[in-house]
Amino acid sequence: MTTAVTIELPAGAGRSTGAGGAGLRQAMRAEWRKFASLRSPKWSLFVTLVATLLVTYLSTNGALHHNRQWYRGFDPTNTALAGLAVGSLVVGVLGVLAMTGEYGSGTIRSSLTATPRRDVFILAKVIDFALLALVIGMVLSFVSFFVGQAVLSGGGAPSATLSDPGVLRALVESGAFLGLLALFGLGIGAIIRHSAGAIGAFVGCTLLSSILLQQVAGNPARFTPDMIYGNSVASVVRVPGALNSSTGFAYMTLYTVAALTIGVVVLSKRDA
Amino acid sequence: MIVTHGLTKHFGKTLAVDDLSFTVTPGAVTGFLGPNGSGKSTTLRMIVGLDHPDGGRATVNGVPYAQLAWPLREVGTLLDAKAFHPGRSGRDHLRYMATTNDVPRARVDEVLDIVGLTEVAGRRSGKYSLGMAQRLGIACALLGDPGILLFDEPVNGLDPEGIRWARHLLRRLAAEGRTVLVSSHLINEMALTAERLVVIGRGKLIAETSVQEFTAQVQGTSVRIVTPTPQRFVSELSRAGARPSVADDGALVVTGMEASEVGELAAAAALTVHELTPLRGSLEDAFMELTSDAVEYRSSPSPGGDRRPRPIPVLSR
Repeated sequence: MTTAVTIELPAGAGRSTGAGGAGLRQAMRAEWRKFASLRSPKWSLFVTLVATLLVTYLSTNGALHHNRQWYRGFDPTNTALAGLAVGSLVVGVLGVLAMTGEYGSGTIRSSLTATPRRDVFILAKVIDFALLALVIGMVLSFVSFFVGQAVLSGGGAPSATLSDPGVLRALVESGAFLGLLALFGLGIGAIIRHSAGAIGAFVGCTLLSSILLQQVAGNPARFTPDMIYGNSVASVVRVPGALNSSTGFAYMTLYTVAALTIGVVVLSKRDA
Repeated sequence: MIVTHGLTKHFGKTLAVDDLSFTVTPGAVTGFLGPNGSGKSTTLRMIVGLDHPDGGRATVNGVPYAQLAWPLREVGTLLDAKAFHPGRSGRDHLRYMATTNDVPRARVDEVLDIVGLTEVAGRRSGKYSLGMAQRLGIACALLGDPGILLFDEPVNGLDPEGIRWARHLLRRLAAEGRTVLVSSHLINEMALTAERLVVIGRGKLIAETSVQEFTAQVQGTSVRIVTPTPQRFVSELSRAGARPSVADDGALVVTGMEASEVGELAAAAALTVHELTPLRGSLEDAFMELTSDAVEYRSSPSPGGDRRPRPIPVLSR
C-alpha cells in the first residue's frame, strides 16, 4: 500500500455554503448512493425480474388447453400476476437486508454519526426504498400482465385486456403491494437487526402465516399478506371467503405502518 | 471542546461508565487512557450519540451531538476500523458520507490522498487489510474538516510506519487548533502523542492531567541505597522525615528524597554507602499502579511466580 505522509488540510476545505443542516434531502441522496454503490441489490433486482416472469409464464402456460368446465370462474389477470407473489417476497427480503446490512457490516455507526437524527435517517431509507419498490412493483405488475395475457391468448385460452373491469385496479394495487411488502421488510429489519433472524421473521409473517392459519377454523388466513395478495389484491374475479381488495390493501398498509412505527421507535431508543 | 458531565451507562448489571466528568480542550492531543473494558469506547459512543447515557450528558461545542447542524463538519469520528459495508469501495463509502453533510465531492479525493489510500480507493473495502481499514476510518473522520476529532484506538492494526504517520497526523491536527481526543490502552504510545491525559478505570475518572505532570509524578522520586549499616541509615533517614523501606535484596528504598539529599545526609552522618541509585519508574508501571484496582480482565499470575521486580509505589493518591 502507499504510504503518503502528506498532510494537507486546507482550512475550511470541508465547509460548504449550504444552509440548514444535514437533513432529509441529504440523507435521501446518501441512501440512494449507498444502494447504487453495492452490487448485491442490483443482482437481487435482476433475480426478482427473472423469477417473476418465470413464474408468470409457468402459471399462464399451465392454464392452457383445459376443458370448458375448467375455465368457469377463470381469472386471467390473477393467473398472470402469480409471479409477482414471488417477486414481492424477494423485494421484501431486500427491504429486510437494507436495514440489517447496516448492522451486520457496522455501516450503521457511520450512518448515524453522519445523520444522528434517527427518525430522519430511517425516513430517508423508507422514502427511497418506497419509491424504488413502487417503480419495480408497477413495472413487474404490468409486464407480468402483458406477458401472461400473450401466453394465454396465444394458447387459445381466455385472456383479459387493460380495459376490462377491475383489471387496472388489480395491476396498480399489486404493484403498490410489492412496495408495501418491501417497507414491511424494512420495518422487520429495523426491529430485529440480524439478517438471518429478520429474514426468518419476514418469511414467517408473509408466507408461513398463511400456511399455518389455513388449518385454523374461521378462515383467519384471509388476513395474511400472502392471501391478501393472491385472493384479494391481485384478483379480478371475487374469491369466496376472501377480503375485498380495498379492505385487503388496507390491512397490508396497516401491517406495514405498524412494523415501520415499531422499527422507528426501537431504532431511536436502542444503542446503535 | 468536548465536555462530559456525570456520564453514566449500565449494560445490564454492569456499570460501564460511572459518573464521568471531564473536559477536552482545543489545541492539544488528549489521550483517553484506560485498561481494556474500562469504558473508553462506550464514553466515545455516548459523545457522538450512538449510545444513550443512563445519566449525565455529553456536549460538543456546547450542544449534544445530535443537535449539530452539520455533524461531520464539526466532529470527525473513528470508532472501530470496520464500519463499512464490505461490498462497497472506500471511495463510495466516503462519497455517501460526504453526501449526508453536503461536503464537496473533491474533498473525498483529498482525504483519500491524506491517508494514502488513493490507489485502492476503488477496491471493495472488504478486501482491505486492518491497516487500510483503519486509514479509511481516519479518512472518514477527516472528511468534513472538523474542529473536533475522536479516535478510538487509531493505531490498531497499523504497521510501525503507519503508527508514526498517525502520531504525526494527530499532533498536526491539534497544532492546527483542533480538539483531538484519542483513546488508547497503551500509556507509552500516549506519552509520545498526547499532551493531556484523561485516565479512567472501571468507568470512573482516575486522573485528568498533563502528560508532563504524570511523568514527573512517576520519575525520579525514589532512591535505592545499599549500605553495610542499614539500621543506622534507617534511623538517620527517619530523623530527616523520610520513610525508607527494605527491598528484597536488603537494599533500602527511600521515597520523596533526591539522591543528592541522601548522599549529603550520609556524608553528614559519616555513613558508608556502597550504592546510591535514583530509581526511575516507567510510565507503564505508574499506569498499572494507577489502574490496578480498576482492571476488568486480569490474567492470573504465572505458576512460577511473578518474576518482574516488584513495582515501587511511587504515586501517592
